Amino acid sequence: MKRLWTVMEFELLSYMKNKGFVITSVLIMLLAGGLTFLPRVIDMSDILGIEAESMETEKAEGVGTDRAETENTAEGLKTEGAETDDAEDTGDGEDVSSDMLRLGLVDEKGYLPDKQGLEKFFEDAEFVYLDSEKELKEAVEQDKADAGFLVVDDISYRYYVMNKEMSDDNQMRFEQLLSEVHKQRYCEANGIDYESFVAEYEAPVQCEETVLGKDASNNFWYCYVLVIGIFMLIVLYGVTIATSITTEKSNRSMEVLITSIDAEYLLFGKVFAGVVAVIVQVSLILGAALAGYAVNRSYWGGVLDPLLDIPGEVLAAFAVFGVGGFVFYAFLYGAMGALVSKTEDMSKVTGPLQMVIMLVYVGSLLQLENPDGVMMKIFSYLPVSSYSAMFVRIGMGKVEMWEVLLSGGILLVSIFAAGWLAAKIYRMGTLRYGNPVKLSRALKELKM
Amino acid sequence: MKLEVKNITKSFGDKEVLKGISFSAEGGKALGLLGRNGAGKTTTIRILMDVFHGDSGEILLDGKPFEPRKVQIGYLPEERGLYPKREILEQMVYLARLRGLSKSQAEKNARKWLDRLQVDADEKKLLETLSKGNQQKVQLASTLVCDPDMVILDEPFSGLDPVNSQILQEVVKELIAEGKIVLFSSHQMSYVEEFCQEIVIINHGEIVLQGNLEAVKREFGENQLVVGGVGFSGEDMERLIKEQFAEMVEITGRDKEDVIVRLLPGITRTELFRRLGNVQGLEVEHFETYKPSLNDIFVAKVGEER
Repeated sequence: MKRLWTVMEFELLSYMKNKGFVITSVLIMLLAGGLTFLPRVIDMSDILGIEAESMETEKAEGVGTDRAETENTAEGLKTEGAETDDAEDTGDGEDVSSDMLRLGLVDEKGYLPDKQGLEKFFEDAEFVYLDSEKELKEAVEQDKADAGFLVVDDISYRYYVMNKEMSDDNQMRFEQLLSEVHKQRYCEANGIDYESFVAEYEAPVQCEETVLGKDASNNFWYCYVLVIGIFMLIVLYGVTIATSITTEKSNRSMEVLITSIDAEYLLFGKVFAGVVAVIVQVSLILGAALAGYAVNRSYWGGVLDPLLDIPGEVLAAFAVFGVGGFVFYAFLYGAMGALVSKTEDMSKVTGPLQMVIMLVYVGSLLQLENPDGVMMKIFSYLPVSSYSAMFVRIGMGKVEMWEVLLSGGILLVSIFAAGWLAAKIYRMGTLRYGNPVKLSRALKELKM
Repeated sequence: MKLEVKNITKSFGDKEVLKGISFSAEGGKALGLLGRNGAGKTTTIRILMDVFHGDSGEILLDGKPFEPRKVQIGYLPEERGLYPKREILEQMVYLARLRGLSKSQAEKNARKWLDRLQVDADEKKLLETLSKGNQQKVQLASTLVCDPDMVILDEPFSGLDPVNSQILQEVVKELIAEGKIVLFSSHQMSYVEEFCQEIVIINHGEIVLQGNLEAVKREFGENQLVVGGVGFSGEDMERLIKEQFAEMVEITGRDKEDVIVRLLPGITRTELFRRLGNVQGLEVEHFETYKPSLNDIFVAKVGEER
């Protein structure tokens, strides 16, 4: 154990003396902590969707804003642009017509309100009234209109556009408009007061929620961040460990080392030093972010709670499975590092390993909203993927204690197996210089 | 302490590189492991150091199985290498601690050897900032930092200038005087001749000659004489001996202007000397026992092969 500690100490010193590592860690730590102070310095109420703390008292008075807006919308349709303000807005819009959408409109039977009514839904657009479908098509084709609508009746229309953009929301807005028109016409036809109908139809529903189990919507974001975080740590540190071993081969210090101490100690010392470095780095960065947020929480209006208010059981699962997965992959990276003798050859042997990690990463993220699905269940037992899948299931899905223990057991056994295999490959690869040794060949030779 | 290597064999694939190597080395004596490139010297040393295992045979230290990591060994491998981007003292202390020394003892030893090899001023420098010769000295200091009972030096003089070679020679002599086992592999015969009481010559994975260096020299030079005459060139002497002494000696070689001859069975030195004295016009300049150099022996044993 004493010699293992000696190796760890030497390798840890290597991290601490690595300016890149230290500077990056400190910078990210300062950034993570510093960002939490941002709402104190600048008004982020627009970005965060909250009011600045200085306006908290006013915020309390501003309850019911949404409802007021809804009423305004209905009003707009009904009054058909009678308000002076609306007229002024239209005037301003003409000054900047180059930035405005130009929409063609064919409404032969006059279902729609006039321009002012339309602009309640299309504030950034000006409408060009046309007489026929043909004219509408030509206008769109000749770029006289960005897009165009042909109203068939109050529940159907045709939409014409030349090249549809990803962010095109014209249809959605037009359908809202048409839906309002339909409701209004229905009310008129049946002698119903439209305003009272809207008030009842859109009456806000009050709800007091009590989640007795897990709230996936709350847990989603930190699970998302943790999956990405552990993926990055495994890849970054894995490559560092592999490079460290390859460097010892390339600078020929390997022979002196393995004649001084068993290869297992050398490999395990490197891996454990990597674990300690990760824990220190993550603790510093996460600690700075959590401490900064604790101090500035009121300025954030609790917006980051879903991200930083992580339940203890998820953190514990992350710690156990995250560290376990990290050690598992670190051993495999170490073995890969021993198969090459030049750092520039590293990518040749780490490629398959990176591929597995990438597949697990993408798979976990894709299935994040389906934590109880078959794929996530399988992932949570496999040692190559349980590091992310199991804490996602613990955080967001249904998981029994025996499943956690079984998965943890499989991971533990796999870590020992990976450590044993890596030490063998490391020892075997000691004096293999020249071309990278293929993993299949290395495994074959180990059998012999 | 006595190290015994018994019948070690090793093959890489189909190629048998060691075909039963056996020798022994004792404390206070240096053993020279000699051979041409690819003869099997480094493989023998690597098996000794458990870098890889032999296919058969055994290695004993004082009669017990030898475990290199449980004995303090200073090993200077043929493939030199330390950490170029780490401080010299730091990595020397690390290597000593891997060998089980305490941190304070490791620092003390490291400074002692850096001082002894005259690179103490560089202890805080990164290895890569030193000249090649000084890096070599740091490597030697690292080899000795664990205060070894056994020292294995694979080509220790390569890369050293004459001054640094002199320092190393003194160090090796000290180690021998301290009763340590010293195993020495080199192509530079003069160094081997200077330190080694025992030699082992390996060729194609087999030992072709071994034993006490003086005894080997004696045996190799047995019944051989160096003969030369005043004013006679080497060719003149060879012609003379072939023409007039063919029934008494055979020519085995040349040493500058002298000829090396072996007495044929039944012929004594006195008889030969008298006959030489009777040759008209020949004044004998050299008539002495031939003492072959290690280089002569080495070339004679393994040099004829291509």
